[in-house]
Amino acid sequence: MITLTLNGLTVEAENGSTLLEVAQFYGFPIPTLCHMEGLSPYGACRLCLVEIGEGARSRLVSSCTYRAEEGLKVRTASSRVVRTRKMVLELLLGSCPQSKTIQDLAAAHGVRQQRFRQEYEDCILCGLCARICEQQMMANAIGFRGRGENRTMGAPFDIKSDVCRLCGACIYVCPTCELRCTFTEPEKAICGGCANLSPPCVHADKFDDMMCFMNPCVACEIE
Amino acid sequence: MARLRSIKELQGLQRRIRSRLDQRETLITVCAGTACQACGANDVQRVIKRRLIERDLVDRIRLRITGCHGFCEMGPFVVTEPQSAFYPKIDTRDVPRIVDALLADEYVEDLLYRDPMTDAACYRRDDIPFFAKQHRTLLGKNQRLDPIRLFGYFAQGGYESLGRALTEFTPEGIIDEIRRAGLRGRGGAGFPTAEKWEMARRQAGVEKYVVCNADEGDPGAYMDRSILEGNPHSVIEGMAIGGLAVGATSGFVFVRQEYPLAVKHLLIALRLAREYGLLGTNILGTGFDFDVEIVKSAGAFVCGEETALIRCVEGTVGEPRQKPPFPTEKGIGGRPTCINNVETWANVPEIIAVGADEFARVGTPTSGGTKVFSVVGKVMNTGLVEVPIGTSIKEVVYEIGGGPLYGSKIKAVQIGGPSGGCVPHREFDLPLSYDSLEKAGAMMGSGGMIVMDDDTCMVDVAKYFMSFLKQESCGKCFTCRKGTQRLWEILDDITRGRGRLEQLDLLEELGQTVADSSMCGLGRSAANPVLSTLRYFRDEYERHIVDKRCDAYVCKELTGAACQAACPVGTEAWRYAALIARGEYVEAYRVIRERNPFPSVCARVCDHKCEQQCLLGAAGQQPVALRALKRFVTDRVDPSVHEPERHSEPGAAEKRVAVVGAGPAGLTTAHGLSLKGYRTTVFEAEDRPGGMLISGIPAYRLPRDVLQKEIDALIDENVTLCCGTRLGRDFTVDSLLEDGYDGVFLALGAHNSRRMGIDGEDMAGVYPSIEFLKAWNLRSESLASGKVGVIGGGNSAIDAARVAVRQAGVSEVTVFYRRTRQEMPAYEEEIEGALEEGVKLELLVSPVGLFGKKRRLAEVEFVKNELGEVDAGGRRRPVPKPGSEHRVPLDTLIVAIGEQAASIGPKTCAGIEMAGGAVVVDERTLTTKRPGVFAGGDLATGPNTVIAAIAAGWRAAEVIDRYLRGRDLCQAAEPRLPRAYVEPLAAEEEVQFAAPRAKAPTAPAAQRVHNFDEVEATVTVEDASREARRCLRCDLEFTERPQGADALRKAGGGDR
Repeated sequence: MITLTLNGLTVEAENGSTLLEVAQFYGFPIPTLCHMEGLSPYGACRLCLVEIGEGARSRLVSSCTYRAEEGLKVRTASSRVVRTRKMVLELLLGSCPQSKTIQDLAAAHGVRQQRFRQEYEDCILCGLCARICEQQMMANAIGFRGRGENRTMGAPFDIKSDVCRLCGACIYVCPTCELRCTFTEPEKAICGGCANLSPPCVHADKFDDMMCFMNPCVACEIE
Repeated sequence: MARLRSIKELQGLQRRIRSRLDQRETLITVCAGTACQACGANDVQRVIKRRLIERDLVDRIRLRITGCHGFCEMGPFVVTEPQSAFYPKIDTRDVPRIVDALLADEYVEDLLYRDPMTDAACYRRDDIPFFAKQHRTLLGKNQRLDPIRLFGYFAQGGYESLGRALTEFTPEGIIDEIRRAGLRGRGGAGFPTAEKWEMARRQAGVEKYVVCNADEGDPGAYMDRSILEGNPHSVIEGMAIGGLAVGATSGFVFVRQEYPLAVKHLLIALRLAREYGLLGTNILGTGFDFDVEIVKSAGAFVCGEETALIRCVEGTVGEPRQKPPFPTEKGIGGRPTCINNVETWANVPEIIAVGADEFARVGTPTSGGTKVFSVVGKVMNTGLVEVPIGTSIKEVVYEIGGGPLYGSKIKAVQIGGPSGGCVPHREFDLPLSYDSLEKAGAMMGSGGMIVMDDDTCMVDVAKYFMSFLKQESCGKCFTCRKGTQRLWEILDDITRGRGRLEQLDLLEELGQTVADSSMCGLGRSAANPVLSTLRYFRDEYERHIVDKRCDAYVCKELTGAACQAACPVGTEAWRYAALIARGEYVEAYRVIRERNPFPSVCARVCDHKCEQQCLLGAAGQQPVALRALKRFVTDRVDPSVHEPERHSEPGAAEKRVAVVGAGPAGLTTAHGLSLKGYRTTVFEAEDRPGGMLISGIPAYRLPRDVLQKEIDALIDENVTLCCGTRLGRDFTVDSLLEDGYDGVFLALGAHNSRRMGIDGEDMAGVYPSIEFLKAWNLRSESLASGKVGVIGGGNSAIDAARVAVRQAGVSEVTVFYRRTRQEMPAYEEEIEGALEEGVKLELLVSPVGLFGKKRRLAEVEFVKNELGEVDAGGRRRPVPKPGSEHRVPLDTLIVAIGEQAASIGPKTCAGIEMAGGAVVVDERTLTTKRPGVFAGGDLATGPNTVIAAIAAGWRAAEVIDRYLRGRDLCQAAEPRLPRAYVEPLAAEEEVQFAAPRAKAPTAPAAQRVHNFDEVEATVTVEDASREARRCLRCDLEFTERPQGADALRKAGGGDR
């Protein structure tokens, strides 16, 4: 066991556990997108940032990949963490505004603006699909290609892989392609959350029959 | 060759090699680094070889092919020994002369390097400032050895350090030595090397690795390549010593695929080292096993990051991972791995050889040794520069780098590649060390130093680095991948004129997020280019956004055709050039006159900013002679062809505006307001209108009839001219407003000469230049006589000198200037003209005393100067040499050291503020602190050009119109892009742009010194037509051929 300071509390953690596991164990909420129990930590989405260290030497690290260290001082919701997390969510909204998962996270963190040119992408390259394919389905059919702005997810050469069993696990874990908000096309909608408000994109009457099971829509409020 | 089985054998071999060394050996060294090979070093080398064989000189002259020496600007070059003569930029045809001179122990004078400042030949290589001021511990070895042979390295004491490390040191001892030497990682982050080794050493486990990181991907940095190419054994030896210290038995060199020569030399070096038993098992019989393998990088920038590098060596995708665990704990294959940069490894044998104390003597207390920088960009001497850590940027850029290219001013350096930042000129005293650079927002990085001058747009620079990073980020961290894309996107918007001011805050916020939230070093430093340029050059960003201007003329969507963008009044220079090429002179005149009410004046005296920005000039050719073309048109076409467009605003005729000063600014304002229907009264203190045009510019440059005609054309029924009325004497601003004027524009100019501040300035025979010029130009009164001296180096000084030389009773005229001719602000052609007319030039002197006889000037005492440090303006400051005072007999002294505006007191106009000899105005609206009172021209800017005054006049007319109509004074800026389409000539009619520039004929000097007739004449029709066809027609990128243009042409359009 090692001892560390978590949000001012002295806590004990098992050797080798990540900061995210420690925080979750002690009940401090940390949002995640690319993390899933049973899959290896990856650290792609940068939502689970926490601040470690003190003073000028403090820095932000992704809690899902950072192992707990003896004597480490960790803050899961310092102003720097919150500020950065909001910007990460704003960037996510700028790319994938129709993802309900992202909308909910943004709403929960009070993100009410999106100042970038709006894009409508289907993927945030969190790598969950590739990891579940490799580590749980033992197929390894898909993976990342390219780097930087040209990085994409898919099967080699975009040909259906021989090892793919069409199990659908990749779709199941995807934070952007399940639960897609369709804005003004109610017949395809999965959620009427925004009907409870009066957002600009919705003709409220069309959404009356729908069940709202999520937080209000943020995508509607952004320009 | 036999394997060396013991250290004794190694020492014996080295002794044998050294005993055979001849210090006075006759030798030609050819630099064959990649840069020199690209310039033709291989041809030079072949020709030298052939020459030596043909002349049977093989036994007398040895040829040595080396790696990079660092002075890449001068490639291909050779150095001959023992004279140590340096012949830069040679041609294969020069080889025989160099070989013959070497045999005769002589120099080939005309091929030697010349100091660009003094033009003096540098005989010895070490006399060249570029080399003399460096501290070349690593690079110095490159020039002394042949990288594909081991003997050269042995002769330099090669592998001696390994031998000593194996026998005299314990592993801990080596690490301690490195620690005391203060060696820090040269890859950029500056981590103490000894600490890293210590960590790796402490790890348990049999198998450990050392890695040389040669994945040098920074744009503009190539020192690692040079070391690997020029001295691969130093890296191998360093790695072997490192391996010994940390307990590793194998090493990897991770080198870029794009460095074929480095890979080749490294392969040869590894083979040789193995053959000699310096790598492999049981090295030198000590039982130490160590070998090195080469791993070629896949060419991604991120692979230089150590955790990504490890994955690359393992054979997977190069993608960084979370640290800790650090590579020294878990590296390649999970085993402890010690990764250092090429330069760090190359320093290791040096430390063991000279000892830690000696090594640490160079550099700063926290960081010992030297660092190699690659100085590239807008600087005279590009190349590799090795200086002690802690040397100032100024020293590297100016003293070693040779300062800016001709005629430009250095603005900033970008240090540390994409992860680094920009350091502005005013911070150039900053020492180049890890800590100071980080504080300044930059980073040592691998040591790339990109020098930028006025022609570099900082927004564009930031955009370039972001476009690099958004492609080279591995893409794992969302913020780094998307953040760099978004940063680029915003920068792109700004450079295209779509930026908004609030986006600057967004840039900062996002940049901070990217830096804070990314996992590896690439992401953590990715925002540096944006954040550092924003920190130091926010005004440039704002200029792009608010004024839609790119002052470096780089951002295409804001610049359009550079000639038009550069012109303060926005004359479509490309358009009249195109029309002249087509023979449509009348239309060309209309184009010129549309934006310029003084076309004939500007055709003679404009400082032609259009030509300075002409793309032909930037491309290394001579810019199109646009002013000469303008002169050609204005001389040929009658001004009456231009009918100014008048659109009178309703109610405008009832409003009256007072303009004070009938110079170019005042007259343009009156003209502009008249076109809008306002009535103006122009008050002029002198008896004739024209301002500086008439009182300052001599008639030989601007004939009076030409000027008078243009002024007369501007005085129409809406404009009343009152000459001989002086502000402050005959009226005040308050009285004007009381008299019912609705607005007042002050354009009094800057007519007060600055004083030298020396006793006796009021003596007879000493005149301020404006007083002297006015006396002649307005009253034909000659103040100069006998021996005349002029103090100053600006246009006013040269004008005064050339007027004096034409006056009767003047025996000789000398211009005294405190710096060198390169720094003289006067136009080059004016200085040329003055010299032709017999004016003498005394440079690097300042006046310190005036001595008279009977209250009249008799002698002036001068002190000699030398050029010292670079000042804030980017010019070298003149420093007086003590004891160099000397007296010069002079009868007349004209002081032309600058002008300023006469003070406008509160009595003349309440509420007006003056600062530094100029009225304080808002730059965009020309408003003073007093509502309804505007000011512009020299009065607001200090002495400036005619065209700047005209531009101020147009702006004043626009702003006063808005003021009188009660509108917002600020107008949203629009980039001035070419709009009109002018059919280009058929390809066969075009002239090669490399053709020489047309030159206007001038009157012979002997003839012109006797009168004030115009010196310059018009170019001929043929010359004008040829000159106009040289234009590259930048406008065509922005205009489109209108529908039905063919039909129009067939119908016989144009007015040939």
